[in-house]
Amino acid sequence: MATFAGMAYFVYSLLDSNDIWHWAAPYDFVVTVFRLLSLLLFFMTSTMINGLAAAFSGSVPNDVIVGLYNTLVLRSWYMQPYGVSDPMTNLADVWSSFQSNLASVLTALWDNTFLFLYFLFAGIGIALFLQSLVRMDHKFVGGAFLSIQSILILAAYKLLVVPNLDPFPSDFLVFLSNNVQILALISFAYLEVSYQMIYSYSVGKPIEDREETLKKQLLALRQATRKQDAIERGEKVSTTGMSRTSGATAFSFLREAIERKIVGTQDALENLDAISDVRRLQIFVDELLQTDSKAKDELTAKAASPSSVYVIGSTITGSAIRFLSVIAIAFIFLNPNVLILLLSLPPGIRYSIELLQPEIILLLLVPILLAFPFASMVITWFSRREIVETEKLTKEEKEAERQRKREFARRRKEAAKARKARAKARKRRKGLETEVDEWDKALEETYRR
Amino acid sequence: MITQRGFVVTFAGVLLLTSGFSFVNFYFILLGVYLLIGLVVTLPLFALTANIAGIEVDRQIDKVKVFSGDFLRIRVTIRNISRRHFDFIEVHDQYPETWILAIGENFIASRIEPGSSIIFSYILQARMRGRYFIGPTEVIMRDRLGFHYYKRTLKAHTEVLVYPTWKDVRRMEALGKQRQLGLMFGAHRTKTVGMGSDFVGFREYVPGDEFRLIDWKTSAKRGDMVIKQFEMEKNIQVICMVDTSGSMGNGYPENTKLEYAIRAAVLLTHIGLERKDLIGTCVFSDIVHSYVPPGTRPNHMYDVLEALAGAEPRGWSDYETAISYVVQQTKKRSFFIWLTDLEESPAPLLNAMKALVANGHKAMVISPFGPWFEAPVGQFGPVEKVLSEAVSEELWERRNKIAQALARFSIPVVNVGPEDFLPTIIKTYEQAKQKGVAMF
Repeated sequence: MATFAGMAYFVYSLLDSNDIWHWAAPYDFVVTVFRLLSLLLFFMTSTMINGLAAAFSGSVPNDVIVGLYNTLVLRSWYMQPYGVSDPMTNLADVWSSFQSNLASVLTALWDNTFLFLYFLFAGIGIALFLQSLVRMDHKFVGGAFLSIQSILILAAYKLLVVPNLDPFPSDFLVFLSNNVQILALISFAYLEVSYQMIYSYSVGKPIEDREETLKKQLLALRQATRKQDAIERGEKVSTTGMSRTSGATAFSFLREAIERKIVGTQDALENLDAISDVRRLQIFVDELLQTDSKAKDELTAKAASPSSVYVIGSTITGSAIRFLSVIAIAFIFLNPNVLILLLSLPPGIRYSIELLQPEIILLLLVPILLAFPFASMVITWFSRREIVETEKLTKEEKEAERQRKREFARRRKEAAKARKARAKARKRRKGLETEVDEWDKALEETYRR
Repeated sequence: MITQRGFVVTFAGVLLLTSGFSFVNFYFILLGVYLLIGLVVTLPLFALTANIAGIEVDRQIDKVKVFSGDFLRIRVTIRNISRRHFDFIEVHDQYPETWILAIGENFIASRIEPGSSIIFSYILQARMRGRYFIGPTEVIMRDRLGFHYYKRTLKAHTEVLVYPTWKDVRRMEALGKQRQLGLMFGAHRTKTVGMGSDFVGFREYVPGDEFRLIDWKTSAKRGDMVIKQFEMEKNIQVICMVDTSGSMGNGYPENTKLEYAIRAAVLLTHIGLERKDLIGTCVFSDIVHSYVPPGTRPNHMYDVLEALAGAEPRGWSDYETAISYVVQQTKKRSFFIWLTDLEESPAPLLNAMKALVANGHKAMVISPFGPWFEAPVGQFGPVEKVLSEAVSEELWERRNKIAQALARFSIPVVNVGPEDFLPTIIKTYEQAKQKGVAMF
């Protein structure tokens, strides 16, 4: 939370010099959009009226157009009139006013849109951040980060004063203490810390969920069997009560059983099956829990919950290592002096203006970035990760399998042989055959003998 | 491998970098570099520590043979045999699609200490008969920030054989208990007059009868020679021929013709064994897949269940091959109940029946009629309705012809739908018992 607040505050304060944080910006934007819409509506309506009037009466109703402009544009803009005090009466005035209004609205919209977008992205960022606190999902964290950074990207596009590190400091300590670097670091830290928190949450949560689900399932099962007993005794039971109270709808097995019971087409038999399935499951679970004392713990996988001390400790050390290495590597990439020192470039390149361009970092960034996955790939090859899993069959099993296949092949061969012999014999008996329905033929043959 | 979260960070980094280049702004570049470096800087370390070959998964199940509809507990033990901490590990144990997860969850997400283990379990309901595999298990390991992951699939399968459903037998037993008459309710004894110890009645003496059978007292009273008759109970031998050709697989899932035929075979075997009759089962299509000869061994039922469990609707029905195989192995006179949809060429079927009758066996055909097992006509549009009716009529006509042909060999054909399949098989068995068909 602190990292997000820090990131948001830095973005706010560093952009404040541009005087963009007008709190009326969203309102202005909405008003401008409505004005544009009213102008467009006026234009469309007047075109339609003109067309209709020309078709039916042959003359253009000027008064209607003027009245429409007065009503749609001037009256609706009354709250903040655009320099007009009285309703208009002349059509030529109306069109000239329309043109000037349209131009001014479009210009205002261009400016307002950007102001509005800063607020919109800030709003989205905060909303996603709040969501991420509740849902602990990486999508919300990433969304919040991108939204806040998008404000800066938009501001840079609008050529406002945005945080920059130009020229890039060559002293590491100066670089570290720079406000802009701190903003970048806090932004990175926000992602890092959030993802770490999601990790810690996701390690412990499935176990808790598992336990919760099992409890619900067992409760739903018990209630379902009780309900069946009640139905068998002839008592009336509410049909929806069970699923609501015990979360049986989240329990697919029971839900299916219930659905089969209620909407089943094969009625009696299907119902009987569904009921007996639920009851047998209850008996199975009861027996299991009675005979095996560990059964419940294994179903919930209770023993698998991790120790929180290790998780916290390793999180802190892991993050610290990542921070340090990331800062150091980034500093080396972005500092031309270090680059020059490292590569001992020829003077023509060393004193080139190109070295001061930001794109120069690609020269190192791309190969080094790719070096990490390559290194991990090499490690993967050398570690014995790719163990070929083989199914372990005993000698007897293999022999039995072979025997079975041989037996089937033999039977198939024999059957084919016998079939051939039969066909031959039949052919010899019959001679040439005529085109008759094979059923009739078979019948006739039977009756003949 | 990079995760969705990693992609978001990459996108943000590239966006900031390009913004920095466009607006010549070192702040954006710096932040972009932070993000991109932050994304990959710990990757080699993660690769070094995340060797998930150090994870072992062991799966235990209570039973490897269950009935369809039964519940099964699966216990999964995850062991960290390495010396490293695994920060975030997800384990997904896969189960067959047709099964239902009844209680618990088939995955776990947690961290695992070196040398320690995690045990979790879940309860499944086995839904359809057949040979199934539980597994493989997928182990996924993510780094701290969730940017990267490694996945490993452990191919260790656990084979489970699911027998056909036992619910019909349970239902029948429940009905028997409700009537307070026990399992033998409705059973008729197959009697053979002439031998045994149970008195039946008298009949007139005919030359050739043994003198010791003459009841002198009654003969004196009647003034004519009478013979005292006794009877003894006999059992019958039935062979159930289950056709598993491709056409038998038509119908609603779990309610195909083959499923009903298998349920009928299970029910028949169970009733027969209860009454000490000999019931054999042959599963065939273009070859004989399995044949369990008639018997009363304690494991006979399980042999039949195992043969039926693996039946798959495939191939075509070669009645002649099936009958020659079974007849070769069956010396005693038997009553053959064919569970087949008669959708193959008629000539081989007739030849097979001839061979059967010629060997002194009796037979009857219980034939599921295809259209009755498929979508109700009410669900069709007008064109489909007309088409389906035309197809039904055609099939029905063919069926009548084959019934006529089989009638010549005294082999009745009973057409059944899903509702009357099981009652028909029970009725057929009862009638066979009453008539004393194929006694031994």
